[in-house]
Amino acid sequence: MILTGSQIVEEVRCGRIVIDPFDEAAVNPNSYNFTLSETFRVYACDVIDTRKENPTELIRMVDRELILQPGRLYLAVTRERIGSNHYAPTYAARSSVARLGMFINLSAPLGDIGFVGRWTLQLYCLHPIRVYDGMRIGQMMFWRPSGRIELYHGKYQGASGPMASQIYKDVQKQFA
Amino acid sequence: MILTGPEIRRRMRDGAIVIDPFDPSCLEPNSYCFHLGGSLIVYRSALIDYLSDETLADVETIEIPAGGYVLEPLRFYLGHTLERMGSRRHAAELYARLSTSLAGIFIQTSAPLGHTGAVIPWTLEIVAIHAVRIYAGMPIGKICFWENFGAIRAYAGRYSVSTSVVQSRLSGANP
Repeated sequence: MILTGSQIVEEVRCGRIVIDPFDEAAVNPNSYNFTLSETFRVYACDVIDTRKENPTELIRMVDRELILQPGRLYLAVTRERIGSNHYAPTYAARSSVARLGMFINLSAPLGDIGFVGRWTLQLYCLHPIRVYDGMRIGQMMFWRPSGRIELYHGKYQGASGPMASQIYKDVQKQFA
Repeated sequence: MILTGPEIRRRMRDGAIVIDPFDPSCLEPNSYCFHLGGSLIVYRSALIDYLSDETLADVETIEIPAGGYVLEPLRFYLGHTLERMGSRRHAAELYARLSTSLAGIFIQTSAPLGHTGAVIPWTLEIVAIHAVRIYAGMPIGKICFWENFGAIRAYAGRYSVSTSVVQSRLSGANP
């Protein structure tokens, strides 16, 4: 079952969902609108090697705005710390943002119960789009699970900035 | 919990779910297969900036001809569902059908959620990764419905009165 907006508010009040900072005006019928922060990470190499740590660069908005170039991957981050030890999160672009001509994740909407942190978004646009610091870019949904809960203890736990892929840690382990 | 196909039909009889027009042969095990409507729009501005009124208003409308329309690779199109769909009791999600996806077409750009209370023809974000010919009325996606947990506050947002394809209504006044 998906939580309604009213239920998300209840769960934030009693501490079973973390959304920090929380603004009740950003609650939708089935989700919470989160916002974009001004730091991005981009890959600084021609080929991303899934077996190695890849070089990246941090980009900051200038005057609180940035023009995203088409066909380039920008790893962005939410301003809010979001997560829950009780509900499974998934997130999506806000419809109005998707309609501008962009993705905010590349087929990876599902989060884990127990992850609490700032979420890294994968911004990818089809034509140049100007984005702004603090714009309401996406929406987080919460789902009631069935079964015993084991909390997330993965490598992105507690993220506070845009995270580059750490898939090399898994691939190295697999081929070690 | 996700609704099964037979349950979608049962809740349509109760009036809890609307799918119009409806064809029972389009019910799937846990979704309903919807179709592409006849209009597409594309933005004409070189840079999309939602704080500038002009860029989102400057669109070209394309009526898909009987012989179909070829989508250019990696160009952004907005289309719409033929059906008016939604529910005042259930949340919905819209996804591509496997057959659409296998043809190299996205029908939404990471925005599958349909809020409880939105009963509309849905705008689709269409991106093909190579040239593909599409046709008005073709089956293109599937809508599934979810049980809600908690008190329902129905959608009354800016797209609640949509009747066809609608570009982004994001603006400085309504961010």
